[in-house]
Amino acid sequence: MAAFSMNELIVAYLAREIEDGDLCFVGVGTNGRAFTLAVGIPLAAVRLAQMRHAPGAAVYWGNLLEPDLSAFPERLNQDAFTRWPGAAAPTDTGIKCDMLSRGRFDVCFNSAAQIDRHGNMNITAIGDRDRPKVRLVGALAQPDHAAFVRRPYIVMDLDRRSFVERVDFVTSVGHLDGGTSREAAGLAPGGPHRVVTDLAVFDFTPETREMRLVSLHPGVALGDVTDRMGFRPAVPDSIAVTDPPRADDLDAIRLRIDPNNILLRE
Amino acid sequence: MRVKRKSLEEALAPISSGASVAIGGSLLRRQPNAAVRNLVARGVSDLTVLSWAATTAVDFLAAAGAIRRWEGIYVGLFNHGLAPNFRRGVEEGRIVAREFSETAWVARLRAAAQGVPFLPIRGLFGSDIAVRNPDQIRTVTCPFTGDLLQAVPPAATDFTLIHGYMGDEYGNIVWPVVRDTDDVDPVFAAAATRLIVTVERIVPHELVKAQPTLTYIPGQWVESVVEVPYGSHPAACDAFYDADEAHLEAFALACRSGDGAAEYLDRYVRHRDHASYLAAVGGIEALRAFDVAKG
Repeated sequence: MAAFSMNELIVAYLAREIEDGDLCFVGVGTNGRAFTLAVGIPLAAVRLAQMRHAPGAAVYWGNLLEPDLSAFPERLNQDAFTRWPGAAAPTDTGIKCDMLSRGRFDVCFNSAAQIDRHGNMNITAIGDRDRPKVRLVGALAQPDHAAFVRRPYIVMDLDRRSFVERVDFVTSVGHLDGGTSREAAGLAPGGPHRVVTDLAVFDFTPETREMRLVSLHPGVALGDVTDRMGFRPAVPDSIAVTDPPRADDLDAIRLRIDPNNILLRE
Repeated sequence: MRVKRKSLEEALAPISSGASVAIGGSLLRRQPNAAVRNLVARGVSDLTVLSWAATTAVDFLAAAGAIRRWEGIYVGLFNHGLAPNFRRGVEEGRIVAREFSETAWVARLRAAAQGVPFLPIRGLFGSDIAVRNPDQIRTVTCPFTGDLLQAVPPAATDFTLIHGYMGDEYGNIVWPVVRDTDDVDPVFAAAATRLIVTVERIVPHELVKAQPTLTYIPGQWVESVVEVPYGSHPAACDAFYDADEAHLEAFALACRSGDGAAEYLDRYVRHRDHASYLAAVGGIEALRAFDVAKG
């Protein structure tokens, strides 16, 4: 088996999850690891899916609808975004919001400073909102993604500080308090579909809507996962192993999708 | 048509302490930084600031202690991390922060543009954004279907500051064909009460008239238009120049402490005019290094 990085494994996993015809939202991200998780891995995954089984899968990246993902520049400066080739750049970003609210998106990719047992996310503040320990950047469209997108994928590294029993501030409603509480609060059914981390993949139990282990990445033990979580997830009787990327996945990622190691830089 | 071209000082003179100001631009693109530096230099404070994805312009105001309340969707420094001064202001309880999702914020801008007291959304049920802000997000019942919706009020302000690409002396603001793909300024402009636009370049009206479909902010809506080359520096103006990443990095580093922020303000923000600022960053010739290819 070819050696692979965890980023490559996650890309291959997410690519398999993307269906032909899916419209996937990807943000413009920030810096460092946050960029890799929020932008690099999702774009590489959609591109791999396009090259494999889902030629009709599309991306809305920033405010660019169906950008050409066949070549990435060596440097992602502002001007690279300005000149990115694509099918459409709607005249204002409100059009993207309309598309979200109307339910046109199938998939989105999100990460957060905190996520809890029920998939609620916090990117607002650590501590109390009015006198926080750390003020974060704010909501952007994340609440809209969690409210309106059919299959939100949360892509985050496992960490006790970010996987918490209850988020300090519910920026984006996942499955709220579990059960049918999300719908009772007034949102449409839905919420986070999978949580994809550097050690394992999770979903949410159908009844209680709490985070549940789906698969461990190759070589990872259950204890490795629970040691890095602030709550105990639901654990099924038998735990699968996440399929590793195939050799031709790795070739596609390394040679064609991200030859300059921009998207998946460690 | 009325001539609306003014100096930066004349255009911004009506804005005084206690005003509410909407600030255009998205992330590191088209931040009305020159206009904001003028406000800080004049000691304007106690502001209510409304923004989309704000970076430098809002953080300069926060560094000066000029923001009492902020409403919007994001304040940060994009690839340079958290906005250090905004962060400190909120953490110390000096800035009241009320955030909205993008969809909620667009509804607020459109409500202001339409002159209606609210517009409905349906995406913030259960979120602490709504639960903790009952003054601005309230449940209403659809009179047709009986569905529950959430009403959000207009994003109405006394003033709106936008940094545009080019405009004529009548305030018709035009965009280049190749430009940013994340534009929110037309929506802010439509929502504005008193709209002040700085531009990279004043161009002849004849050029605007020849291609009116490129006018994204009609002069009808504009109170003042000001030519301020590199007016978004150290952020970018897409299709004109890139962000000055080294300056932004130094800004973020300096502002880790209040003292460092004060030094930054003295050196780079509190200038009597834009020419003085350009001299402080090495002169306009030095900034041409950030220019990008046109067209």
